[in-house]
Amino acid sequence: MGIQTKISQPNTADTKQDKYTKIPFLVKARPYLIMAPSLLLTIGIMYPFIAAIFYSLTNYSFRSTSYKFIGLDNWIKMFTNYDFWHAVFVTGLYAISTTGTEMVIGLGIALLLSKDTRFTKILKVVLIFPLMVAPVIATLIWQLMTNNSVGIIEKFLNIFGVYNFPWSSSPKTALLTATLIDIWVYAPFVIILIVAGVQSLPKSPFEAAQVDGASAWFTFKTLKLPLLLPFMYIALIFRLMASIQEFGIIFALTKGGPGDTLMNLSISAYTKGFQFMKFGESLPYILFLWLIVNLVSKFLVGKWLLVQKQAAGH
Amino acid sequence: MNTKKLSLLTEIGRNAILALWAIFALFPLFWMVLITFKHDAEMYTTTFIFTPTLENYKAVLINTNYFKAFFDNIIVSGGAVLVSVLVGVPAAYALARYNFKKKEDLAFQILSFKFAPEILVILPLFMIYQKIRLFDTHIGLIWVYQLITMPLLIWVVRGYFEDINVEIEHAAQLDGYSWYHVFLKILLPLIKPGLVAAALLSFIFAWNSFTFPLLLSAFKVETVTVSVLKYLASDTVHYGQMAVAASVSALPEVILALIIQKHLVRGLSFGAVKG
Amino acid sequence: MNFKSGFKRLSAVAVAMSMVLSLAACGGTKEAPKAEGEQAAKTSEAAKTSETGAAKDFSWEMAKGSKVKILMAQHSIAEAMVKKIPEFEAKTGIKVEYSITPEENYFDKVTTSLNSKSGDPDIFMTGAYMLWEYAPAGFIEDLTPYLNDAKKTSAEYDVKDIYEGPLGAMRWDLVPGHAVGTGPQWGLPQAFELYSLAYNKRIFKEKGLTPPKTMDELLVLCEKLKEFGGKGTYPLAIRGSRSWGTIHPAYMSTYENYGAKDFTIENGKLVSQVNSKESVAMNEMWVKLIKTGGAPSWSSYTWYQAGADLGAGKAAMLWDADNNGIQQNWPGASKEAGNIAWVPQPLPQGATKNNSNLWTWGIAMNKASKNKDAAWLFMQYFTGKDYLAYGSIEGNAVDPVRASVWENPKFKEKLSKQEGYAETFKATVDNTRILFTPEPHFFEATTEWSATLQDIVAGKYKSVQEGMDALKKKTDEAVKDVEVK
Repeated sequence: MGIQTKISQPNTADTKQDKYTKIPFLVKARPYLIMAPSLLLTIGIMYPFIAAIFYSLTNYSFRSTSYKFIGLDNWIKMFTNYDFWHAVFVTGLYAISTTGTEMVIGLGIALLLSKDTRFTKILKVVLIFPLMVAPVIATLIWQLMTNNSVGIIEKFLNIFGVYNFPWSSSPKTALLTATLIDIWVYAPFVIILIVAGVQSLPKSPFEAAQVDGASAWFTFKTLKLPLLLPFMYIALIFRLMASIQEFGIIFALTKGGPGDTLMNLSISAYTKGFQFMKFGESLPYILFLWLIVNLVSKFLVGKWLLVQKQAAGH
Repeated sequence: MNTKKLSLLTEIGRNAILALWAIFALFPLFWMVLITFKHDAEMYTTTFIFTPTLENYKAVLINTNYFKAFFDNIIVSGGAVLVSVLVGVPAAYALARYNFKKKEDLAFQILSFKFAPEILVILPLFMIYQKIRLFDTHIGLIWVYQLITMPLLIWVVRGYFEDINVEIEHAAQLDGYSWYHVFLKILLPLIKPGLVAAALLSFIFAWNSFTFPLLLSAFKVETVTVSVLKYLASDTVHYGQMAVAASVSALPEVILALIIQKHLVRGLSFGAVKG
Repeated sequence: MNFKSGFKRLSAVAVAMSMVLSLAACGGTKEAPKAEGEQAAKTSEAAKTSETGAAKDFSWEMAKGSKVKILMAQHSIAEAMVKKIPEFEAKTGIKVEYSITPEENYFDKVTTSLNSKSGDPDIFMTGAYMLWEYAPAGFIEDLTPYLNDAKKTSAEYDVKDIYEGPLGAMRWDLVPGHAVGTGPQWGLPQAFELYSLAYNKRIFKEKGLTPPKTMDELLVLCEKLKEFGGKGTYPLAIRGSRSWGTIHPAYMSTYENYGAKDFTIENGKLVSQVNSKESVAMNEMWVKLIKTGGAPSWSSYTWYQAGADLGAGKAAMLWDADNNGIQQNWPGASKEAGNIAWVPQPLPQGATKNNSNLWTWGIAMNKASKNKDAAWLFMQYFTGKDYLAYGSIEGNAVDPVRASVWENPKFKEKLSKQEGYAETFKATVDNTRILFTPEPHFFEATTEWSATLQDIVAGKYKSVQEGMDALKKKTDEAVKDVEVK
């Protein structure tokens, strides 16, 4: 009996589905087969992750050809280290300050761009240019511009009687400077995403609202924003995930300084692993980072799919 | 009258804010291009008024193997996108069409590769690449670039496949078309906008990649992002030459962006904007 | 086949065997034993060929047909080498492949490459401090046997012509805590730098000032030269970035001149002395100098910014490597080119000996290299008299490590327009050596050191003493696994 049902079930299902919902040339394993090459390609590269977990339990170092298993020592050392918690704090602060500002600016500029004039048309094209410059190089250009002795921005500030603004060289303004560069590099990304959203808005609900005499703020809050939300989520996911791991801008700017002001998890891991050659000790930092990124992105992607459904009216 | 005045004021305000933003966004680029014409000796002593020179261009474009790096970059970035298209489109199709166990988990896992910390991947990979002789090869870089290019491509194209009615495929099937005919003649034209967008965006991301080519290649393959930083030598700084290298390396992207501006928006929105 | 060569081969095999065993025992990388075994076989092979060719003398063509790969950092030394590679290839019949990496990431690449034991690259550019990490790990070939082998080293090489400062910097017995200068030769220097005070003589003349001899005089000068040329100008350029590069130049030289030590050895352990009385006195002075005379954004200053500010006339003095200032002083190199002159470093009150730390760029050989003879010829050629004279006279590679180059009339002529340069060099070079205690955590210790210095200047600590106490703790923790046997 049991065997019979087991055999017959797929058969009936197959014949039914074949006719209406499924394409006939398929068998059950097919989706996996079709995906296999892509999975092999990426998972082949993901092997390092597993290796990283293993090496985080050893005292592996570039300094030596041998290593030994030391259990959770590296992990305990990390969690009991003040510098680690400082790095977690810096990571969070940097991610929030950059992503937050970029979202606000992105939304604001995108809305200002929504009116079609010749000026906005040109802007929509040229404003994405900063994305074409690799972040490390963008940082070097900014460093040259903010140089106290010769930088063009210093000359500009002199007009207003501001001299020797410390930029990245003071703990008080280093985060501000890094955030500024981050905004310059990545705000265009947020802007064009939300511009895309604005352009895809349906016309009719807004015309109806206008007829009803709804205030501009009310229309924005109840109509525009929910429809733009999926786009904002995509921007948020991409920016947050990248800024949590930001390396290039901070490293090119101050290497984590002055003092430990900008030491985030990525820079800490790199400094320990490559510069101090304590590979095993650096891995928990980066695995911890990876864990955070994975959890946060999973949560946000779930949210995104949800708001997308809501916006589509399901 | 009053409302007219008000709307005029908002109009001025709007354009003023936009103009300010445009200055902020574009001035550094203008500055970068400007210093390509500046002699090293004048870098620190002049601002806008200086004697322009083409020496930096000569030094970078003629006296070094910059163009080799440029073409290497085209090969690895282009190759990576090509592989992603060949392998990723079927995968996107599978994710869109079939319901199978752990589908959403799998889809998310593919996306999460895009967020993987590069430093974590590089070290173990470096050792493996040395063993299997992929170190310092185009193929090696093309492979590791899949982490950058494939997730984006799969997610965008998947969205497009989901929007295509199954009945269309089905009807074609009944008309006696083989599956690859269905794919090439019917599906491909429908997903083309998304495919182009994702491919181009992936290309830009791959083009700007720095850490992978820095550590996974050495003698034979060198990409342009790595070579840009070489003009900051440890004993002399050639900001002008660096600016030349950076500006020229941004050219293909700028040209692409101008040509396919609309597509770019689609790619960035992960296919949410179909347009 | 005589007894000696048989013994050589036997010992090579024994070394290989013991390596296989020890590696298997400690469960290291699986690939390593095989590579080592192959390597040993190759070495014994090489030993055999060199024995059979015993009748022959040294020949530049002894490795004809082979290929070497060299990894270089972006530097004028690398540029000079690249220009001479065709000549080397023609002379030896060896094919050379090279790769130039931005310096910021250069050593990441060297480290990962050596660690892979693939034999690539055969040769790499390096400084002395890096050898403290690479040599104990077994990544580098000991060059002493090559230098002592008349069949491998040309009679014209004349290693004694190289200054002991830079040459000794690349010699070490691998015992942490033991000073450099004894033991195997791990690399050969190509150029080096010592530390001195460069100043803008135009500005000094206009203000009627004379260059300082003591720290106190320097501090007074800093007071006088504040914004000497308007806003944005300042008295003294020194490095301050969060990097070991901030510690090793003028800072470390002055640290020594105050009589401070980085480590002492107690019960077989390294103990940090950064919070000693001498160190605190020195650091208090240093912080005063930075606050009075340093660049407004001192903490972002590396070699580049410091040198460029002197050249642009933004800084009146530069306390850094002598060859940093000279890059700004070659005709046409900068706005102030021709106005820069050198004097020896200012000393603390009562000190008479001008100790200077040094940095040297040189080349070393990968122990896993499969083309060692060819690699050795490369090293010999590019640290030889002819090439180094060329690099310093035609190129701008200074300071030359060979005394003969300093005596070369063409080089003298070239330096004649650099006021005080050669004199300052001669007055300093005999007391120039590595002032750090060699230990494998050098980069961690000095990077943390620079971060603490930044924190002190930014006012994070109540006093210099408090900052240095905190640094001592960190440093002791970093080196706690080091055992001095």
